[in-house]
Amino acid sequence: MSTTQPGAGAAIRVALDAARDELRGDVARGAGGRAALQQHADRVDGLLRSLYAEAGGAERPVAVIALGGYGRRHLCLHSDIDLLLLFEGRIGPAEERFLRAFLHPLWDVGVVVGHQVRELDEFADLERDNPEFLLALLDARLVAGSRLLVDRLGAMFHTPATHAYILQSLLALIEERHARFNATLYQLEPDVKEAPGALRDLMATRTIAALTDTLLLQRGPADPGRFEEAEDFLLRVRSILHLEAERNQNVLSHELQERTADVLGYPGDEPRQRVERLMSDYFRHARTVSRTLEWMRRTAPTPVGPNLGLTRDGVRFLDPVQAARSPASWLAAFQAALDAGTGITDEALSCIQQHVSHYRAEDFTPEPRDRAAFLKLLKPRPGLYAALSQMHDCGLLGRLFPEFDAVSWRVVRDFYHKYTVDEHTLLTIRNLERLMSTQAQYRERFKMVAASLPSPELLVLALLLHDVGKWRDDEHALESVRMAAEALERLQVAADARDTVLFLIRNHLQMSLVAFRRDTEDPEIVKEFARLLGTEDRLKMLCLMTLADIEAVSPETLTPWKEELIWRLYVDTYNHLTQRYGDELIERNQAGLGELLSWRPHDIPEAEIMRFLEGLPRRYLQLFPREAIYRHVRLARDIGADEVHVSLEQNDTVWSLSVVTLDKPFLFSNICGVLSSFGMNILRGQALTNPNGLVLDVFQFTDDERFLALNVDAHVQVLQLLRDVVSGHADVTALLRGREQGVLHARGAPRVAPVVRADNEASERYTIVDIVAANALGLLYRISGVISRHGCSVELVLISTEGERAIDVFHITRAGIKLTEAEQRALTSDLQSTLEGKV
Amino acid sequence: MKLIKSIVRPNKVDEVKDALARLNISGMTVTEVRGHGKQKGHTAIYRGKEYNVSLLPKMEVEIVVNDSLADEAIKAIVEAARTGEIGDGRVFVFPVLESYRIRTGEKDA
Repeated sequence: MSTTQPGAGAAIRVALDAARDELRGDVARGAGGRAALQQHADRVDGLLRSLYAEAGGAERPVAVIALGGYGRRHLCLHSDIDLLLLFEGRIGPAEERFLRAFLHPLWDVGVVVGHQVRELDEFADLERDNPEFLLALLDARLVAGSRLLVDRLGAMFHTPATHAYILQSLLALIEERHARFNATLYQLEPDVKEAPGALRDLMATRTIAALTDTLLLQRGPADPGRFEEAEDFLLRVRSILHLEAERNQNVLSHELQERTADVLGYPGDEPRQRVERLMSDYFRHARTVSRTLEWMRRTAPTPVGPNLGLTRDGVRFLDPVQAARSPASWLAAFQAALDAGTGITDEALSCIQQHVSHYRAEDFTPEPRDRAAFLKLLKPRPGLYAALSQMHDCGLLGRLFPEFDAVSWRVVRDFYHKYTVDEHTLLTIRNLERLMSTQAQYRERFKMVAASLPSPELLVLALLLHDVGKWRDDEHALESVRMAAEALERLQVAADARDTVLFLIRNHLQMSLVAFRRDTEDPEIVKEFARLLGTEDRLKMLCLMTLADIEAVSPETLTPWKEELIWRLYVDTYNHLTQRYGDELIERNQAGLGELLSWRPHDIPEAEIMRFLEGLPRRYLQLFPREAIYRHVRLARDIGADEVHVSLEQNDTVWSLSVVTLDKPFLFSNICGVLSSFGMNILRGQALTNPNGLVLDVFQFTDDERFLALNVDAHVQVLQLLRDVVSGHADVTALLRGREQGVLHARGAPRVAPVVRADNEASERYTIVDIVAANALGLLYRISGVISRHGCSVELVLISTEGERAIDVFHITRAGIKLTEAEQRALTSDLQSTLEGKV
Repeated sequence: MKLIKSIVRPNKVDEVKDALARLNISGMTVTEVRGHGKQKGHTAIYRGKEYNVSLLPKMEVEIVVNDSLADEAIKAIVEAARTGEIGDGRVFVFPVLESYRIRTGEKDA
């Protein structure tokens, strides 16, 4: 039932009929083109405005917005009237009253209204499920109501991300639509709206230009005049189809072709001749549209970020004037180019070159997210060297790192180096980038090391700054460290990352020194080198740094012979770090201990720290930042039997769980089992035990099933189950059984053949069991379960994963001593069977 | 004249060079080589995978000296390169028939 006066409906009908009659007249004269349709749209606008006025507006701001074809003012006789009714705030009873008063009269007179009723807030997030609606919004035009509201909608809607999404969707929609017509415009009965070369293609061409570069239409393959002419022709034909069919009919069928030819006044004695002339005109215009669209699809830059477009020549600034004013967007341009596997265009480079000297280093990365993005940019991958070289050429790298500018074109006079210091530096990065994607068999071993780095961008940062001290002629490593520290300070790199980068720069010559000049068969030399490095990650980075650095001196410098020496030192040091560290306990004079004590928070007395550290391996201090150690000390405080003290933290996508408790059989296995029972994927971890039976286990894992993200009380659940399982109040086996079976069945045969190796030589106190196997849910639980069932206690564990391989090193004892030969054999054979899925 | 060719541990090259320099022998050729004698190398195990390292990296130092200096030079090399462990290397001595300077074409005495 209408809520408006009956009189209002009648008035609308009269006005609408008058408007339609006028359009009919134009169409019948063959003049139903753009001008007539615009005039019709204007008349409908007027009608809607009077309806809006009669509906009395709403209490709070509302806007009646024309969308799509109506928004463009191409309103055909039987086109739907697409409207967006936009409210500023929540739609309440008053707004609903307005809607009824506005829409019902339209419905009553039989107007087909395609309407969307929305609140402004709904546009805060991009709607990804309705690209047609987003496309229609591009033509939004205020008909009645609040201008301010439309402007606010525009500000929310017109963002680079939305534009990029719409463009991407539009290109997909075009493909789909063309496929329906077998991708040809030469249809005998063409649909003048949908067919290739018809009205939708014409609009798509304009939309692509509007979303990317509005000047493109002037440069297309067809004269812009011919494009307009095609539009007018297609609209005139469509108008006739609507008139003749008396509905929204867009197919130029054989019957309608005769009528259309007559209305448009094509000459010819026979209807056939007139139709042929009409259709030849149609195909000519459709071809113009089609060719322009094809050209546009090839040429238009794809939006790849704010003010950034991807073209065949690379990434460019869509608006160079704006780009010149926002230096923070320059690094984004390089990032986008790297992502797209291309460079940035010469124009963009000149734009940067022209303006780069106006800015300071900080201007390029003003916000934390810019600085994080810059670190991400440094991840080694194909194109990084090229990108950094471009950045160097246009002066951006030197501005970003004035330190690096000091060694631009710097010549080192020796018989060794072949390139200037800056180019040598960039070549080290190219070598690393190439290593990561090398196909060379002999490089495979180093490639795997590179692939296992958790933060390879830190290595690139270290390479970038390792030689900046070479502006001086003497000892350069320390000067490089001093200068790099300033650069890292400016970039506000996190403390542990900064320490790693400075460590690498300070020691960048150490590995070649030891590998080539020292007797690496001497275990003392390896032990000293391992002490210097402390952790496997640093060893890996220094190893790759050494390789990349030597190779960048000249093409001949890195011989297979040198590679072999580096590799052997790497393997020996790696084995030392992973297998012998249990023998090396924290000493009172160890580096880092003094700092740890002097920076300690007020609530932790020195004696408490010392008591906690007693009997832990020295690598513990190298592995964990100070804050983490203080946290562990607090967790260990006042711990009683059967008590479990736990902390759970999230860093990006990786969770970190620290567990402190007193040792007991199956402890490690149970903790792993709890994590696996929640579907957690354990990536890295350390299990440490001190002689007093205090156990500290630290796991890094990802929550692949988003259990922690999706469940409000997930933390509590995980921690409660841990407590219950460790104290013996719950059995993890039952929880895991279903899950494990599912996983085992799903995975099929493992792609990594499991290797189990026990060693009694490596460590003085422990039997070392090295395990390499396909990573799988519950793997650690199964391994450690077998170890515990053999009556062994797990003293130390190192867990790491590389892609689908899990690499675990267990330090175990049985009744406090190493295993006998027979015990080792029984254990390894059991482990092997378990990993092969035989039990 | 004698050609003295010695195969030594890479980390001993500098000491060998210094020892020879003390005898005023400064001209030498140093080459990176790989090989093994009685010392057959060993198997390095890296994360469950065995790497065969049977060919060991060594350095080859070649010098040519007058007969009168040969014994002293050999002694210097042996002393400088010795660690007492297996794999210290070898010294080979060859007679040299003639020697010419390329720049001048002049024959050495």
